[in-house]
Amino acid sequence: MGICYQGKPLKEAVAEKEGIFKETGYAYGLKEIKLVESDPAKFMRFQMRLVASCIGAREMAKLISANPMSLIQGELLFMLATPEGDVVSASYGLAGHVQAFPFMVRAIANLGFEEDPGITAGDVFFNNDALYGAPHNADCYNFVPIFYKDELIGWTVGLNHIVDVGGLQPGGLGTISPSVFTDGFTVPPTKVGANFKTHKWWELHWKRRTRTEVFNILDDKMRTAGSVALHNRVLEVVEEFGVDYFRQGIKEIIERERRVLIERIKTMAVPGMYNYLHMNMVNYKGIVGKLFAASNRDWFMHQPAEMHILPDGRIHADLEGLTSEDEFHCNGYEPALRMLTSLGCWPMFAYTQTLNTALQYMTSWNIPPGSLFNPQNPFAGTVMSLMQVGKYIWMYQNCLSLSFFSRGYLEECFPQDPAGVGYGLAGVMKDGFRWAGGDMTLITCWASGATPFKDGDPASVCSPNPAADQGEAELAEFLQPTNLNIGRTLIPNYCGHGKFRGGLGTGICQMIMDPGQSLIAAVMGATSGQGRCALGMSGGYPGLSDVVYFAHDTNIRDILKEGKPYPTDFVEIGQWLKDGRLKAGSVEVFRGSSPNVPLKDGDLMACASGARMGWGDPIERRYGLAEKDVHYGWITPQAAKSIYGVLTDTKGQVKVAESDALRADIRKVRKEKSLDAKDWWKQEREKVLAKEFSENVRSMYTDCLKWPKFRREFMGMWQLPEDYKV
Amino acid sequence: MEEKRDDRFPTEHVKLLVEGTISWEDAKKAMRLRPKDKDRFWKYLEVLQQRVPWKDKILLRISDHLYIVAKPDAKRVVKCDCGHEFGDYRVNWKLSCRIRVRRTVEEMTEVSGIEEATLDPSLVELREYYCPGCLAQLATEAVPVGYPPIVEMLPDLDTFYREWLGKPLPDERPDWFQNRTLEAPARWVEEG
Repeated sequence: MGICYQGKPLKEAVAEKEGIFKETGYAYGLKEIKLVESDPAKFMRFQMRLVASCIGAREMAKLISANPMSLIQGELLFMLATPEGDVVSASYGLAGHVQAFPFMVRAIANLGFEEDPGITAGDVFFNNDALYGAPHNADCYNFVPIFYKDELIGWTVGLNHIVDVGGLQPGGLGTISPSVFTDGFTVPPTKVGANFKTHKWWELHWKRRTRTEVFNILDDKMRTAGSVALHNRVLEVVEEFGVDYFRQGIKEIIERERRVLIERIKTMAVPGMYNYLHMNMVNYKGIVGKLFAASNRDWFMHQPAEMHILPDGRIHADLEGLTSEDEFHCNGYEPALRMLTSLGCWPMFAYTQTLNTALQYMTSWNIPPGSLFNPQNPFAGTVMSLMQVGKYIWMYQNCLSLSFFSRGYLEECFPQDPAGVGYGLAGVMKDGFRWAGGDMTLITCWASGATPFKDGDPASVCSPNPAADQGEAELAEFLQPTNLNIGRTLIPNYCGHGKFRGGLGTGICQMIMDPGQSLIAAVMGATSGQGRCALGMSGGYPGLSDVVYFAHDTNIRDILKEGKPYPTDFVEIGQWLKDGRLKAGSVEVFRGSSPNVPLKDGDLMACASGARMGWGDPIERRYGLAEKDVHYGWITPQAAKSIYGVLTDTKGQVKVAESDALRADIRKVRKEKSLDAKDWWKQEREKVLAKEFSENVRSMYTDCLKWPKFRREFMGMWQLPEDYKV
Repeated sequence: MEEKRDDRFPTEHVKLLVEGTISWEDAKKAMRLRPKDKDRFWKYLEVLQQRVPWKDKILLRISDHLYIVAKPDAKRVVKCDCGHEFGDYRVNWKLSCRIRVRRTVEEMTEVSGIEEATLDPSLVELREYYCPGCLAQLATEAVPVGYPPIVEMLPDLDTFYREWLGKPLPDERPDWFQNRTLEAPARWVEEG
C-alpha cells in the first residue's frame, strides 16, 4: 500500500505523471481543466489562498534567520508542491527553485524513501546535494510531507542560500573546488527530523562542518519552521475547499499555466532557430598545484546554445558543443540549469499568477552526457555550478528579445548579459575568534540592458535575486566589521554602448579595517576577459566586464585622517594611483573571479558589476540623449567622442555640425579598417590553418571539436581538411 | 475577410516605438496590454514598409537595419534599409558584410571606455559587422579567433505565416527553413 492517492506508491505516481505527459501532451493528462472552467472565481480564490499561505510562511520564518542574505536580500523561498513534486505556488524570493524541487521528489521516490527511512506525517527532510536536485550546496532545502488522513497530498518546502558551505574557500560561492569532496558540506536527501522538529544531532553537523554555525543553524530552523507553518496553513485550505478539490486543483494550476505560456509564445514570438553564446575563463593553474594535478590548468569555457522555438510553441535548447565536465567547481546538473534559467523565462513570457513548474512542460534541453551540465562523474564538483548555468538565463532573454523584436513587440524585449560579483570572507580576529562571512551586494542592483527603444536603467534589476536592492551597508558592516564601505557608486562609461546604451553598472569600494590575525577574500565574478556576452544586440556592444580590484598596503588611512576626499570605485583608484594621490604596495586586478586573496589593514577592495549591454549602432544615438549623458557625467566627453561620435562644448552641449562630420569620418574609418567578408574569411582561415590560437583558445577548441555538431560547423566554415586537428 | 483592427495600441504608437521616441507612459500601456494586440505584426509591417525607400515586400525584420524581403523572382533575401542586399536569407548575412576586427586592448578600449573592464585579446577578438552600403554597424561579436560567425536567427517563415498568423506565403517550400550558411565558404574555396 503506497502513500499516494488510492494507495499508489510515490515512485509509481512520479513515473505516471511523467508518462502521461509524454503520451498526451497535457500536464497530468488533463485535456480538460474542469475546476478552472466551471468556476474561475472559486479557482482564483483557491490559488491565491495557496500563494498567501506561502508568503505568510516566508514572512514569519525569515525572522528566525540572522543571515543577511535571507533577511535583507530575499534569498529564500517557501513552496507548496504536488505529491509528485511539481511546485504549484510559492512565496516571493528565490523563485527559480520551484524548478529544482521536482527533481528531489523524483530522487527520493527512486531511492525508495517510501520504504526506508519511510515518509510519514511530521517528517522533515533535507537536501543540498546537486546530484539529487539541489542547484548547489549553498541552496539548502528542508521539506515536509503533507498528509491528509493517510494520503500524501503534497509537500511544503523551505529553501535559502546559506552564508558558508564549509568548502575549500569561505562563503557559498567558491571558485576553486576540484570535486564534491572539496565543495564543502553536501548532504544527499536525508530525514533530519520527526514530529515537525529537526533532530538535535542535525545541529552538530552545521556546527562542525561549516564556518558559520550560528547563521546556518538558524537558517535550518527557519526553513523547517516555515515549512511546518505552511503545512498547517495548507491543511486549513484543504478543509475549506475539500480534499478532492485540492487534489484536482493543484494539478489544474500546472496545466492551465502551461497553456498560458504556450499561447504567449505563439502570440509574441517567431518560430525558428536562434543562437546564443557565452564564454568565460576558469583559472586554476598554479593555484591548486600538485595536490590536484588534474585541476592544475585553466579552462576557456564554451557555452553555446541553439534555441528552437518550435511550431507548437514549445522551446527547445540544444547545448551540443558545451565544454566537457571536469575537475572544477562549475559542473552542474539539469535541475540547476532549469532552476536558474527560469529566471530568463519569467520576465520574458512566464509571468503568471503563481510561481510554478509549468515551464517544465514547455521547455526542453539537449544536454549531452559528459558535458558540463551532464557530468558522468558522480563526484563532480558543483559548488558554483550556478556561475555557468546562469549564463543561459540570457539565452532566453536575448533570443526571445530578438524574436519579439521581429514580431513587433518591442516593448517586451529585455535583453541582458551575465553579471554579478559576490565574495566570501574568512578570518581570525585579534583575540583568536575565527569567523566567516559573505556578501552579495553586487548580485543586486544591476543595470538593465538597452532595449530597441530605450536605454537600460541603472541599479534596477537582478534576475537571480528578487530583492534587488543592495540592503543596508550598516548591517553588512555589523556582520563583517573588517570591510568598511567607502564607496557605492555608478561608474561613468561603465555600460554596454549602443544607439541605446545599457544602464551604468555599480561599483563598491571597501577599506579593510582591523582584520586581526588574518583575513582572506574569495571573489566570484560572472565574467572574465571575454566580456559579458559573445553577441551584441543589433550592432550594440555587449556590457563591460566585472572588475575586482585589490590595492594592497595603501595610504588610505592617512588620506582619511587628513579629511581629504578619497577614491570610491576601481576607476578612481586606478586614476589616483596613476597621479600619485593614492599609494599602494601592489595591485591585483581581475576581470571576474579571484582566488583567495589575503588582505591587511588599509588594503582596498573594489568590485564592480552589472554594466549591461547596448542595442544598436552607437553612432546612431540621438544627440539629445548623448548630451544628457555628458551633462550628468554618465558618459565622459572623451567616450562620447570616440564611441558615439559626439562632440560637446565646454557647457556640455552637442556641437551638431562637428558631430555630423565626426560621424561621417567614423563611417570612413569603418570602411578603411574593414574587409569584405570573403577577404576577412581568407585571413581568418589562414590563422585557423596555422593554428594561431593562444593556449586557452586552443584547449577550448580541442575540447569542443569532439562534439559532432560544433565540429561540422567549424570545419565547414573554414573548409578544413578532414584530418584537421587543433 | 479583413480582421477588425485592434486600436488599443494604434499604429501611430507602433511608429513611435520603432523610432525609439515613444513616451515611457505609452510604452507601459503596450506592456500592460492583456491580451496583446494580435494584429501588431501587421501594424509593424505597415510602419516598417513606410520607413524604407524601396518597394520589396518585408516578410520579417531581423535587426535594426535588416529585413527579410520577398523578391519578385521568388527569392527571399536579407536587405538593409539603405537598399543593400545580402542575398539568400538562409545564408548568414554576416558573410556578406564588411568586417572589422579589433585585436588589441587599445582598439577595444576605444569602444568600451574603460580599460580595466575591456576584453582580453588573448581570449577574444571584437568583430564589428558593417553594412557595405551604408556602413551601419549591424552586429558585434566577442569571440576567439577562428570562431565561426554566429547565425543569430533563422526564422521558420512558412510555419510562422501559415500556422501562427493564418496567412500562408505564396511561395511556401519545404526547403526554406534550412541553414545554408556553409554554402558561402564552400563557394569561396572553389573560387579561390
